[in-house]
Amino acid sequence: MENLKWRKADISYEKQIHFSKRDFSFESENAGEFITKSLANAYWFFISDVDGDNCPFRPTCSAFLLQSAKETNIFQASLMFFDRFTRDMNIAKGHDHYPRVSAGYYYDPPQNYTLNQGRIKYLPPAFIVDDE
Amino acid sequence: MRNFLTIIFLIPLAVHPQSSSFDFHSPENIKKFADHLFCEGDYLRAIEQYELINENLDNDTIKFKVMLGYSELGFFSESNDFFRGINDKSIFYPDAYFLSFKNQLISEPGLIIAPSINSFNSFQMKSFSKLTNISMLYEDKFNISRENFTAPFDAEELNSVSTFFDHKVEPPYKSPALAGLLSAVIPGSGKMYVGEWGDGITALVVTSLFAFLAYDNFRTDHTTRAWIFTGLGAFFYAGNIYGSVASAQIFNARIDFDFNNGLELFLKQQNYFLPEYDFCE
Repeated sequence: MENLKWRKADISYEKQIHFSKRDFSFESENAGEFITKSLANAYWFFISDVDGDNCPFRPTCSAFLLQSAKETNIFQASLMFFDRFTRDMNIAKGHDHYPRVSAGYYYDPPQNYTLNQGRIKYLPPAFIVDDE
Repeated sequence: MRNFLTIIFLIPLAVHPQSSSFDFHSPENIKKFADHLFCEGDYLRAIEQYELINENLDNDTIKFKVMLGYSELGFFSESNDFFRGINDKSIFYPDAYFLSFKNQLISEPGLIIAPSINSFNSFQMKSFSKLTNISMLYEDKFNISRENFTAPFDAEELNSVSTFFDHKVEPPYKSPALAGLLSAVIPGSGKMYVGEWGDGITALVVTSLFAFLAYDNFRTDHTTRAWIFTGLGAFFYAGNIYGSVASAQIFNARIDFDFNNGLELFLKQQNYFLPEYDFCE
């Protein structure tokens, strides 16, 4: 590292993608989680990794489904997922009421949708969430 | 050049005797330095210096300044610890008593149930009533008439205070049950009810599309496809009802967030009805 100041720095302009962080294991605590994990793995492997990083939300819709299944049960997680998917498809692109993560994606955690008022952590749209 | 060098060599000779005769560490001089730091707004270092001499001087002004400094720095429990050391006969006791409630309200917002004290002057008594009334807004149970609630406030504060009162009495919440019911009748209308028009219209279009595809495939005897579309449509329909209830809850969380933020901002603007202390004149 010494004399780095006076040398040409080796800077990489490659954008870090979150695909590499994906956990393709089937580890799950119950049958519902196993089903959602299998579906998400298949979706990641056959579609998402090929199609690219298109989801404007964090967690992504597939990760949202997995986290929802962990938080609740497979039935409630499915309802949460279909609601999220509808919001993702918003034809008016009305996403301005979500806070953002530092990378610019809209932050929309499943904890806010468990129908437990006490678990909702409201963040204003101007808020930037540090951690993805 | 010779003159310059002469001056440079003479300066230490001139300064040294003065500095050796000056006691930097006497309580009075430490206090002067601490006062200077306090006036500069360097509360942390000022408190350090005050704490060095507090036992020697046993001065209520110092105790109050330390309390004020800790409060300014956001160390509210430390600030209130110092309040306990202030003599109740001291001239600063009413201010310190009041400041302790400011600290309490910031660190743990809630109702102030302590009484006013006899040594309050009329301004402090009025300010204490204002702070007590405002603290009621943090409680779930809120039953006080508008007249009683707004009575201690001045004309320029009345507008904001009335808004807080109205909000507390009748918060502009949306009903999650109604949002769910509306979406059950017309898909997406629950989302529109909570102000999410884009999501509502999308839900209406998607659910209608799948319903039409299911109907059309049943009509033309493509039953497998028809059942797939029926299943998808049903999930979008149910997901939208669920999402409308969740959106109404998030809407209500936003209302509470805005209310608490507005209240905090108002109190900060009013300096929690405390006077501006000027120890630097």
